[in-house]
Amino acid sequence: MAVKLEIDGKEAEVEKGKTILEAAKEAGIDIPTLCYHPALEPFGACRLCSVEIEKRGRKKVVTACNYPVEEGLVVNTKSNGIIAIRKMLLELLLARCPEEGKIQSLASEYGIVKPRFKLEDERCILCGLCTRVCEELVGVSAINIINRGVERAIGTPYLELSDDCIGCGSCALVCPTEAIKREKNIYPTTAEDIREIEDGYLEGGRDEELGVYSDLIAGKTSVDGQDGGMVTSLLISGMENNFFDAALVVRREEGYKAEAVVVEDVEGIRSARGTKYLHVPMMSKLMDALKEGRRRIAVVGTACEVRAVRKIQQQWDLERDFPGVEIIILGLFCFESFDYEGLKEETKRKFGIDLDKADKTQITAGKYIVTVGGEDYTCDVREFENVVREGCPYCDDFVSRLADISIGSVGSSDGYSTVIVRSKIGKRLLDTTEFIKAEVDKKEVVKLVRFKNKRADRNFARILEGLEA
Amino acid sequence: MAEIDLKGVDEIIDRYKGEEGVLIQLLLDIQNEFYWISPEAIARISDKMRIPKSQIYRIATFYKAMSLKPVGRHIIQVCLGTACQIRGAPKIMDRVEENLKIKEGATTPDMRFSLRRVNCLGCCAMGPVIVVDGKYHGKVTPVKVKDILEQYE
Repeated sequence: MAVKLEIDGKEAEVEKGKTILEAAKEAGIDIPTLCYHPALEPFGACRLCSVEIEKRGRKKVVTACNYPVEEGLVVNTKSNGIIAIRKMLLELLLARCPEEGKIQSLASEYGIVKPRFKLEDERCILCGLCTRVCEELVGVSAINIINRGVERAIGTPYLELSDDCIGCGSCALVCPTEAIKREKNIYPTTAEDIREIEDGYLEGGRDEELGVYSDLIAGKTSVDGQDGGMVTSLLISGMENNFFDAALVVRREEGYKAEAVVVEDVEGIRSARGTKYLHVPMMSKLMDALKEGRRRIAVVGTACEVRAVRKIQQQWDLERDFPGVEIIILGLFCFESFDYEGLKEETKRKFGIDLDKADKTQITAGKYIVTVGGEDYTCDVREFENVVREGCPYCDDFVSRLADISIGSVGSSDGYSTVIVRSKIGKRLLDTTEFIKAEVDKKEVVKLVRFKNKRADRNFARILEGLEA
Repeated sequence: MAEIDLKGVDEIIDRYKGEEGVLIQLLLDIQNEFYWISPEAIARISDKMRIPKSQIYRIATFYKAMSLKPVGRHIIQVCLGTACQIRGAPKIMDRVEENLKIKEGATTPDMRFSLRRVNCLGCCAMGPVIVVDGKYHGKVTPVKVKDILEQYE
């Protein structure tokens, strides 16, 4: 059903349910916004899109982004009153964020150069785009609006390092200012960040699909871990050769439910062998370990966790806070991870077995395999799509591009692990580890990298389209 | 009082499990039961209700009725609304702070009292008013403060 209205003297006809802002856009009338994105729910925070509406002879001011069109509505987007409101808003915003380019240019469009008010040194305008993209599209909700009134801010719970953020960078894409890039408790990783980290920490040739690397091999060791047991062996050898004193690994604690734990000996490392396809809180554990005085730590994690660790290395002054800190990162190949409760329920429903009793789980060649009491239960992994963790479809890093050394199963034959060496320390770690070497089928790895990237690209397209609009 | 028994949290969660839009009520129940909402309680709700922690934290930091810090056995509310203000409430507040050796918003180290300022309790005729654990004390004078506080162990 169509609704007729008048905007700035122009007749307009739009679908019922659309907003004034959308109607204006269709009519080619520009209304300034700071907190609007077409793929997200309107929020009405910045008030810049304020317009004057007239119905039944009465005038009032509303925000165009969240006001649905009505039959016969008369909208004025440029009345003197509206211009005065926008000027005031921009003057206040400029006083809050005097250094922000986007605010400066919008303000100068309205003739404001120097605000009358006391200048603050703020970057965030509290538009909520970052929190909404994280909640509504990515589904992770790592950050939110906290407190209220003059204390209102954007932040993580208790302003601590986020265990939920996957570093996808969506928030940085939509943020109209520099604010999100300065947030230290989340890890938005943009293309520039990736480049900077690669230049700063990695060594080797740059491959479009596999990232920076110097070696790509398959390996098999005597450890009975996942595939070739390379992660466990690298950790054992790294600890025995004094590359690090502790390792942050994920271990099954209660049934299949896993937790990130700090282990300090070979026994501890062995206790964590085998893949768990779960996302577990990791960064808070790393911070705890540093605060407890541990300095030389190996971290084993998936791409999102690797990004988080690198972002901290890049953003924080770790050396000042924790002198002597040395972190070596073992990245895991990861297509997606699952929600523990969900995976348990689905496994029960599908096979009638208890995931907590599983000896081993494996996802290989598109199959999900659970081994219980020596028996394998198999089905297509796509049948578990509904319990994939929120956010994974926004990740475009299958091979942990930013790790010192990446390990996975794709690309090598049964009983072998694929290993990608990406830095000097990664190389040294591999050199001190004993294993039987084999060839990797790079095409296999590339295939999955592309598959995962395509999915992420599709999702990011919605965010990017909205930014151009 | 400072530690929250997670079993108690679970019981409250079970009342609401499977329902939508119950977060505020759930948090209020926890607040009523334990007088504050601990990080562990937030983590538990997040796990069991599958609500991201940041969303729970957002709500808990928004409402004055919810406390993210442990509170004392007795909660004192000193009214600083207009009427009480005129009748000398600031002096009452000063005296309470002096007696308890804490500032407004804080809790005594022995967890006996938490002190809060409120803006009008709606019984201006009784002003200046202070409320302890829901009991209203009207026409308070600085001299009476000590006696009132001594009634609560």
